[in-house]
Amino acid sequence: MTQLLESGPLSGLSASELAAVRDHAAACPACRRAYLAARAAELLLRERAAATVEPPPFFETRVLAALRERAAPEPSALGRLWRAAWLQVSTMAAAVVLLGALTLLGPAPESTGETAAEAAETALFAADETTPDELTYDQVLSALYEPEGEAGRGDEFNR
Amino acid sequence: MSDQELVGLARAGDEAAFAEIVRRYSPRVFRVAGRFFRQRSLAEEAAQEVFLKAFTQLDSYEGRGSLEGWLTRIATTTCLNLLRSARRRPEAAVADLTEDEEAWLDSRLADVAVERHHSVESSLIAADLADRVLETLAPDDRIALMLIDGEGASIKEVAEATGWSESKVKVQAFRARRRMRAAVEKLLAGGDER
Repeated sequence: MTQLLESGPLSGLSASELAAVRDHAAACPACRRAYLAARAAELLLRERAAATVEPPPFFETRVLAALRERAAPEPSALGRLWRAAWLQVSTMAAAVVLLGALTLLGPAPESTGETAAEAAETALFAADETTPDELTYDQVLSALYEPEGEAGRGDEFNR
Repeated sequence: MSDQELVGLARAGDEAAFAEIVRRYSPRVFRVAGRFFRQRSLAEEAAQEVFLKAFTQLDSYEGRGSLEGWLTRIATTTCLNLLRSARRRPEAAVADLTEDEEAWLDSRLADVAVERHHSVESSLIAADLADRVLETLAPDDRIALMLIDGEGASIKEVAEATGWSESKVKVQAFRARRRMRAAVEKLLAGGDER
């Protein structure tokens, strides 16, 4: 019987088919439930189909406005890509300029990282340039080989 | 002005001609949208989408069939797609019948003669309940049932509106009827238990 119920709307059944369904449903609880459900489903569908929605006034104006909105040119994919790349490049350039400015305008470093020995040599040659004849060979050796702590005092030779 | 002339002008970019097409066929498109969406705002959105799509596809309208038929098909497929993309609620069932719904079902099932005499209020109750049951079904099931069992459309008419083959329409309707009946049976059993 369920096949008959599912083959089409109940309203499409002939009078004899419908009578047969009802007779059987009266004696069979499962088929009665199925029959009642099929009837209820059809009634609900008819009520639902009767519920209509009318177009609002000036609906065409709204459609035309939506058409114009969609027709407005949108940036192409290439344009969007170019804009994103340009943004990145300009950001990086700004960062480089900022770093350069900070480097040039910032305070000079206090230490150049010169080692004690290098400082001694510097002092020695400075002294050599100013008073070339006043340094003995021993003075040169002691300036080069004196302990590290004292190397910073190499300029004492100048005195 | 004929539909063909309007289409020709609209293709050439005449907005007034397209506005006339919208005016002429919006009742039809709203009727289709209303099968899928009972909430006015959703039906309006769907109808607008149908006309936007129709405008972009005007070149594909060859004029062999009626403009109304062409628009009906666009409306049906557009609404089906919108419904497919919306979340279905298979378990939102219908487990809880309101008192009004229960009374409606009892009265309508008890006496066939009452079917022809019902108030606007009872129609709204029924339509709401129908929506709740239909929400548990797949969009394809819904449209097949609404058109065939609800509106009395033929298999051929449904095939034309949906673009399905007639055999697919038959199978779809058969299965949809079974699912709908099962959902309603569950609903009635819930009502009896209370």
